Amino acid sequence: MLARAGGGFGMLAFASMLEAAKNPFSPKVPMQVGGKAKSIIWIFTNGGPSQVDTWDYKPELAKRDGQTLEGFDPKTGFFPGSVGGLMKSPFEFKQHGQSGTWCSDLFPKTAMHVDKMSFIHSCWTGSNNHSPALFMMNTGTTRMGYPCVGSWVNYGLGSESDSLPSFVVMSDPMNRGLPKGSAANWGAGFLPSVYQGTWLKPTGAPIENLAVPASITPQRQRAQLDLMARLNRQSLAGSAIESELNARIESFELAYRMQTSAPEAFAIKDEPEHIQKLYGVNEKHCGHFGKQCLTARRMVERGVRFIQLYSGGMENQQSWDGHKDILGNHRGFANESDQPVAALISDLEQRGLLDQTLIIWGGEFGRLPIAQKGAQPGRDHNPHAFTVWMCGGGVKGGYHHGETDEIGFKAAIDKVSVHDLHATILAAAGLDHERLTFKFQGLDQKLTGVENPKVVKAVFA
Amino acid sequence: MRTFLFILTTSSALAANLPPDHAKRMERGLKLFDSEVAALLKQNCLKCHGGDKVKSDFDMATREDLLRGGSHGSVVVPFEAKNSLLVSLINHAKEPNMPDSSPKLPAEVISKIEAWIDAGAPYSTPLIAGKKPKKDASVVTDEDRRWWAFQPLKKVQAKSIDELLLKNAKGMTFSPPAEKAVLVRRLQLDLTGLPSSETSDKSDLSDLIEELLKSPAYGERWARHWLDVARYAESTGFEQDYDRPFAFHYRDFVIKALNSDMPYDQFVKWQLAGDEYEPQNPLALAATGFLGAGVFPSQITANEVESSRYDAMDDMLGTTASGMLGLTLSCARCHDHKFDPLPTRDYYAMLSTFTTTTRMNVDVLPDGKVTSAITTMNAKKNTPAVAGATRMMICAEGYDPIVMHTQGGPFFDKTYVLKRGSPLMKDGEATQGFLQVLSKPGDAKRWQWQPPAGSKSTGKRRSLSNWITDVDGGAGALLARVIVNRLWQHHFGTGLVPTPNDFGKTGTPCTQPELLDWLAAKLIENDWKLKPLHKLILSSRAWQQSSARDAKKEATDPANGLFMRFVPYRLEGEAIRDSMLAVSGVLDPTMHGPGTRDENSKRRSIYFNIKRSQLIGSMVAFDQPEPLVSQGARPTTTVAPQALMLMNSPQARQWAEGLAKRSSGAGDAAKQIAMTYRLCFHREPTSAELATGFDFLQSGASLADYCQVVMSLNEFVYVN
Repeated sequence: MLARAGGGFGMLAFASMLEAAKNPFSPKVPMQVGGKAKSIIWIFTNGGPSQVDTWDYKPELAKRDGQTLEGFDPKTGFFPGSVGGLMKSPFEFKQHGQSGTWCSDLFPKTAMHVDKMSFIHSCWTGSNNHSPALFMMNTGTTRMGYPCVGSWVNYGLGSESDSLPSFVVMSDPMNRGLPKGSAANWGAGFLPSVYQGTWLKPTGAPIENLAVPASITPQRQRAQLDLMARLNRQSLAGSAIESELNARIESFELAYRMQTSAPEAFAIKDEPEHIQKLYGVNEKHCGHFGKQCLTARRMVERGVRFIQLYSGGMENQQSWDGHKDILGNHRGFANESDQPVAALISDLEQRGLLDQTLIIWGGEFGRLPIAQKGAQPGRDHNPHAFTVWMCGGGVKGGYHHGETDEIGFKAAIDKVSVHDLHATILAAAGLDHERLTFKFQGLDQKLTGVENPKVVKAVFA
Repeated sequence: MRTFLFILTTSSALAANLPPDHAKRMERGLKLFDSEVAALLKQNCLKCHGGDKVKSDFDMATREDLLRGGSHGSVVVPFEAKNSLLVSLINHAKEPNMPDSSPKLPAEVISKIEAWIDAGAPYSTPLIAGKKPKKDASVVTDEDRRWWAFQPLKKVQAKSIDELLLKNAKGMTFSPPAEKAVLVRRLQLDLTGLPSSETSDKSDLSDLIEELLKSPAYGERWARHWLDVARYAESTGFEQDYDRPFAFHYRDFVIKALNSDMPYDQFVKWQLAGDEYEPQNPLALAATGFLGAGVFPSQITANEVESSRYDAMDDMLGTTASGMLGLTLSCARCHDHKFDPLPTRDYYAMLSTFTTTTRMNVDVLPDGKVTSAITTMNAKKNTPAVAGATRMMICAEGYDPIVMHTQGGPFFDKTYVLKRGSPLMKDGEATQGFLQVLSKPGDAKRWQWQPPAGSKSTGKRRSLSNWITDVDGGAGALLARVIVNRLWQHHFGTGLVPTPNDFGKTGTPCTQPELLDWLAAKLIENDWKLKPLHKLILSSRAWQQSSARDAKKEATDPANGLFMRFVPYRLEGEAIRDSMLAVSGVLDPTMHGPGTRDENSKRRSIYFNIKRSQLIGSMVAFDQPEPLVSQGARPTTTVAPQALMLMNSPQARQWAEGLAKRSSGAGDAAKQIAMTYRLCFHREPTSAELATGFDFLQSGASLADYCQVVMSLNEFVYVN
């Protein structure tokens, strides 16, 4: 009973002063037909990868290489003073799979899975600046402080794990910084804090206070908890808030269990060698990301609902933010993530978990088809177009949704807003974005705002 | 004058648009409507726009609503099909294509709708029988003013809180008074957040209230409640989350103001316009930190300069409105408030108060002179050049603003009314005004304050503060209601209005309206001083009731809106940590000054430096809210990270050892146990508790192990 009752990180009881849902432990909206995903892994390619250099093949751009883009508003990107001409992709594109999906040579291993993936090429967003765009992508608004997708999913679906946080975030372990706005990207905003993402520290103990201090032994701690339970129960009789106090007693037991079960979830060294090899956990170029992807799979197996995995650090050369040297920048981050991402897909599939796990790949915006001038040309931010792909969780394979214009500058056909994308992600998890609401400041707040966003139904099989 | 002109131009524009043959065309349009168009609209549009739903705020049920348009602005321009958004949408020339999620309408249907619009889009009858057009939310009526929160304070004849509560008690009576020892501990935690074993149970409760109210710890405890409301933090948020190293003076202002029992109206006035009241008083200047405590991006691209400025002003106004008036005014930024009489034009009239208000660092010199100080964001090591000067962040006008990485200036000279909140859709300049629902037409001048010649500021914030504190025709009655409700809430765990930041129609109704007004009137009678109000509440039978379970009362009044019992509530994270520090004997009582993010600090938790990207783990675990928007009430969650912190954090262990050290001198094991209970709970252990503890210690466990358990008990973290 308790094991399934959590709403958040080891959550047991919850008494809200807000007018929260009557029973915070149960799903908030009924499942709708089609939602198959029990878990979601979002590989957040931080900094904004370039669509025309990855998944959005634009032969016309190559033809017009070097030409001026007429009518271009220099304020579109971040550096109005560095506007160059159209620039073809420095990467080679080939078709893959039965679907004949065009992919650049950045992702040789991931490309082997295109027939399991749905690509949305016509995404667009409202900001050309990292942190507002990150907030938009994570919380549906460019302002700071709103609940993120993971929190909404966590709130909507509840938790299946009794010993792990149900929404975790992993950031770059290579000392390249956090995504801009850091914790606000996985914050619960006005939702109760139990629904916020738990940031696993990339180095050292991933969860705060998880280890029994050296000054005390596990046996002594066990004796302490027994004493605590006894004393608490002695003063419980006649209390008006007995269930709340009881929940507190249980929370110590849960914490005690977590001390062993959480480290076990992180113990990728227990994986057989062929699995470690599959993810490349010992490879220099991708080991760090491989470990995170493998951890993500172990979490999915243990009932964690939402895992966000940031590829790349803060900005510029630390992330997919290829202002200069788009070639070197994207090559580097693709090398780090290609094998682990491909491994994650294969591994979930071979365990029969891919159908119930949605993988999302995408960042906060796209990049311009024109060059950002410099010794090694890069590409500036582009809010008008970017590609997001999804895989698993009931999503169609080898499917392409929407199109950009012929040079990949702006989404042109079947445009998908960030709210549409969010509605679609919620739908994949069986949540109706119109009914997943929380009362705050007098209104039924939603992740997807008031502008009638649409679920991209076509991506579902 | 401006309004008058505006109306003239609007009406002449309308007149010009009316075609000369309009009467004839309308006649034709009516026929179209009755024969076909009404049916077409009902079939294809009405379900989402007036029937089951009103999507995008666009309702087609009546002609008035049709012409008013929706969240996308005007939808139908009578006599001008080609200029009507509706026509573009159904022709799929613009998004969102309509009808939504359905095939495009056949060409002949579209042309009939176009013809009908060209004929003036007349209705012979609403599309839903009997439906009345929606009230124009931009106009505030006397009916709107009748909402209880906007009314002047009712004159309530009563002698006491208890009398008023009993009047509504549905035949119930108060629970018996709590035991003296329980009350002493309850009082200590309530007023100071620190348990103390030094008070004798024999001391007079009334004296104890006085004594605790005089304790500096009172201000430290109660300031924290207000800092939630003020979304207080000491960093910018957003991408770099730069420190605001001189922002802590605001926190100190709140503590000092509460400790000195500054009248609440002055407390409000200074936070909005301290610099305009006493330009050389450091405390008055620091108070304006209220306006500046919100988030602000540190990196702003050219096309975000204007929108981020409107966001910043919205933060100031929104926090003022919800924190001081319990109004969700920010909702009116993009459209007239859907539930409360808060039109968008009122929002922008209020917003323009802050047109030239920005964050700035100033040095207050010993002689009272104030000069601009460093304007860069990350100014940690910078200290004032003049000895004895105090450097503080204020939020005011006339000094050099702090400059972010921006492709624009710190503010714009004018504030405009924006349609749908978009700086791209300006609708005339906004001039300062106040909420219509809390003023009378033509009254605005009364509150207008002209700054003396040579003043650094515009006087607009002081004008706002005059209105907001004016009990006679301004917002003063609501201001008083909102603060007395907050006092009640922190004494009882729940407010008389359970939604302390929302006194509007979407809030939870007041459970004791007469009592609220009576208390508000008392506050004003007492020169807006809070301490007499605290004493009044704490001296009541209501507050001193026992918290013992009463099943019958729980069944009759589960939410305890009648206050015929006292419901225990969990302490906030700050008070839990402060209590642990206090009982372990290591609490460092140093007040004020810069804070720290070191969890090993031994100062009270209010002195934690609050950096938005690096919030203090032990505080967040115990529900300290993210300092992003005003928070009136914290949720109480019970989660495993709290237990982990009490079990495994080095601090918990250290404090347990501190408590053990204090108890160890008491004598044998039984005496040590008794001492621990006295220090922690202000009572003697029961014989069962004594025996249980004795067994534990006899089994070879250390006194520190025992003390750690006691500090983790329910009783330690709950106010009983």
